[in-house]
Amino acid sequence: MRQGFRQSMAWLHTWSGLVVGWVLFAVFVTGTATYYRTEITQWMRPELQAGATFDAGRAADLGADFLKARAPDAVGWFIGLPQPDKPLIEVHWWKDLAGPFHHALLDPATGAPTAARATQGGDFLYRFHFELNMPPLWGRWIVGICALILLVSLVSGIITHRRIFADVFTFRRTKSAQRGWLDAHNVTGVLALPFHLMIAYTGLVTFALMYVPWGVTAAYKGDEIRFFVEAQLMPEVRAPAGKPGGLVSLSPLVAQAQGRVSETLEHVAVYNPGDAAATIVTIFEEPHGLAHLHPQIAFDGASGAELGATGIAKAATHISASFVGLHEAHFAGPWLKALFFLCGLMGAATIGTGLVLWTVARLPKPAERPGFGYRLVRALNLGTVAGLPVGLAVYFLANRLLPVGLEGRAETEIRLFFGAWACVALAGLLRPHRAAWREAFGLASLLFLAVPLVSAATTGQHPFDGAARFLGFDAAMLAIGLLLAAASYRAGAPRPRRAGAAEPRPAPRPAAHRAQAAVPQARSAEGAEIRRRA
Amino acid sequence: MTPLVLALNLALSFAALAALALSLDRHHRDAFLVRVPKGRARTLRLAGWAGITASFAAAVSFEGWNFGPVQWIGALTGAALLVVALLAYRPGWLRPAALAALPLALAALPFALKG
Repeated sequence: MRQGFRQSMAWLHTWSGLVVGWVLFAVFVTGTATYYRTEITQWMRPELQAGATFDAGRAADLGADFLKARAPDAVGWFIGLPQPDKPLIEVHWWKDLAGPFHHALLDPATGAPTAARATQGGDFLYRFHFELNMPPLWGRWIVGICALILLVSLVSGIITHRRIFADVFTFRRTKSAQRGWLDAHNVTGVLALPFHLMIAYTGLVTFALMYVPWGVTAAYKGDEIRFFVEAQLMPEVRAPAGKPGGLVSLSPLVAQAQGRVSETLEHVAVYNPGDAAATIVTIFEEPHGLAHLHPQIAFDGASGAELGATGIAKAATHISASFVGLHEAHFAGPWLKALFFLCGLMGAATIGTGLVLWTVARLPKPAERPGFGYRLVRALNLGTVAGLPVGLAVYFLANRLLPVGLEGRAETEIRLFFGAWACVALAGLLRPHRAAWREAFGLASLLFLAVPLVSAATTGQHPFDGAARFLGFDAAMLAIGLLLAAASYRAGAPRPRRAGAAEPRPAPRPAAHRAQAAVPQARSAEGAEIRRRA
Repeated sequence: MTPLVLALNLALSFAALAALALSLDRHHRDAFLVRVPKGRARTLRLAGWAGITASFAAAVSFEGWNFGPVQWIGALTGAALLVVALLAYRPGWLRPAALAALPLALAALPFALKG
């Protein structure tokens, strides 16, 4: 090998980062938004008032009544109970384990389908984060492969970074374009490095059994359910008896289960509901802690007798559940969650700056015509980094502007999200490159700033109406809009000269004249240090 | 109480990281226009690592061994970003901001203890 280790790692970092960068940027942005999934969903269903508490038993019965009428022949029912932050009964049912999975939202007071507008809310961003709106397995595999390459990219990036400690605070924004982008990439990457490593690794762990199922397959002879039961991830389940049977009322079982576990009851699942061997499983919120483990108690569907419960998980399960817990950060209070959110944004920024850096470092000379590959990367960068925010803003605006009773409303919101995103990516091809960036960021900024206004105009709810229900959401839209406006302004600002060209010294800082004498000496010292390290 | 402990962690980390940044020639020059004197660099470095250690101790003793380290790292990241932003845009503010953060951390301490 003629190249040194560091050079080959630099090559690996550059190319591994580039090929998955676009997907990962979208995964990071939607994943970061997912920290506020509940808040986003609340905003997107303004008809519902959060805060009320509900009788879990009655809600479970209402859900079961709906499912008995709608899907008596299903093999599985899943009833999500209403909570103060989500005042709806959410029911899922399926006639085949391979899907399709049907879904309905019910009013917790009446059990009838809700009158709130149809939307996937924050759940769309959550699912996109790991499934990319594709068939689940395809999406999970693609995101998983990207996450694996992200780990490769992170580790090779750490090795490539020559002065990871000495430059940890260094952001030379006025030196040259390439220097500025490289420093921004390094700073956002290194300062949040624990987060980046954690999130890439724990993301893979979340779907580890899907990506590498062979250990469980070999040890349990293909009986995966046995593994889940022994790992205390679910209680014993029973095969259907094959003859019809009745189902007991759910509310007494709910009360019995709630007497045993102090956490909030979140879901009631019914397996083989029409069968004589139907099983009812009550699923609780995870106890406060890092581990993402839901206590569960199973009951006989015909007699109501208890069948079993999840016990205390052993170390291996506990560790893997803690990784999942760290990834999802459900344990974090509002302030810590804000820091997770900030770290997520820094991850997106690391990827975005890395993508831009690739093009800045390969900037063709003024007379040269950029090659196809270069133009492709540039177009994909613009389409992803500037297109996704436009799509997100359009998703929120569509939620307010589409008629409430529109047929297929939730799907239309999502189609508009992708449509707007694609439009920006394609329109970018028609415009000069810098103008395309400026205009796309400008458009995204205007759209985000419009969100609180359109919301106030269409729902009559605004931050100054006394209730200030969506103050946080509106403030976030405003902040994102202003950030994008700054990005648009910066994209239109005159370009600093390329690295290597004679660079003007940065403008002297206030009072710099006092110490001008110190500068040449200091610069030569720095030069000597660079030579020594190189 | 977690928000106060987090405020304590943030303020301590910020002051500590600012000290570490100012112990480096480049950033000392950004803020004070001269290279950092040898003795001062050592003091700043010592103070910086002491602050980071104190922040870890506070996080773990208030939040326990499972949440403490998470919060400690989160606070370090947030504080470091602030240090970088100040160095890039307002380097002269770094020292006063770090000095202001220390009493803030001290002020949060009794509340954190009580909660």
